[in-house]
Amino acid sequence: MSTTMIKSRQTEKEINGVRTQVVCTEFSNYIFIVLTQYGKIGTLVSVTPESQSNDVSMPMFSTKVLMGKDEPLTHVCAKNLATCVSQEAGNRPVLLGLALKDSSIEAVKLMRDLIKSCQVW
Amino acid sequence: MSGAQQGGAFDAIAVHNFCEKISEQVIHFHVMKMNGGFFLWVGSSPTLSNLAVSMNSKFDAMPLSMLLMGDKSETAPNSLAQRLAKKTKKQVFVSYNLPVVNTNLALQVEDRIKKEMGNHPEHF
Repeated sequence: MSTTMIKSRQTEKEINGVRTQVVCTEFSNYIFIVLTQYGKIGTLVSVTPESQSNDVSMPMFSTKVLMGKDEPLTHVCAKNLATCVSQEAGNRPVLLGLALKDSSIEAVKLMRDLIKSCQVW
Repeated sequence: MSGAQQGGAFDAIAVHNFCEKISEQVIHFHVMKMNGGFFLWVGSSPTLSNLAVSMNSKFDAMPLSMLLMGDKSETAPNSLAQRLAKKTKKQVFVSYNLPVVNTNLALQVEDRIKKEMGNHPEHF
């Protein structure tokens, strides 16, 4: 009896001097990513690819804050971090837990790389 | 360590998996322990079909609970999250991916979780 049905990977790195943790978990219908500088889930955002007929190569994404700070920057960060994950994971939606002290563009770029290093999809 | 100076003095997120055969089916459990709370997924196939969150409030004896994802008519994720939040005094996220018609199964699942909490409190 295998104890692991759910595949997950995690890593940790200092980004601009702030300890940053990532845990990526694969579900058949979702990729769940926790990206945190506080050690907790924080704001929970779902990033879903929209089915669009006119251009298949450039899908649109909709973001919805399920819990926490529903402000424009949350949506921008979530899209920035999760879009390529969703595309690589066969257009699966991404559930993203974000608890960031630093949401500068430089930091977000480094976080995107950190997420990629925990690829489970 | 500069991480600690930045207020990052918390443990790394820890993942713990276990499983149990209950009523002739193998049920899998996946726990992610975080700072001040945990995420618990329960299921027999690797889907994420709902998500509930619960935490204690000083204004009510019963923890507050809310369904973040999934079918609002399903009460199992909410009530499990609520009972685990009451037991642990932590913020609890629960995803319950088993047929809800079987209430006996739900009780056995909850007992199994509580047993794991008793044997391995460090994972929650």
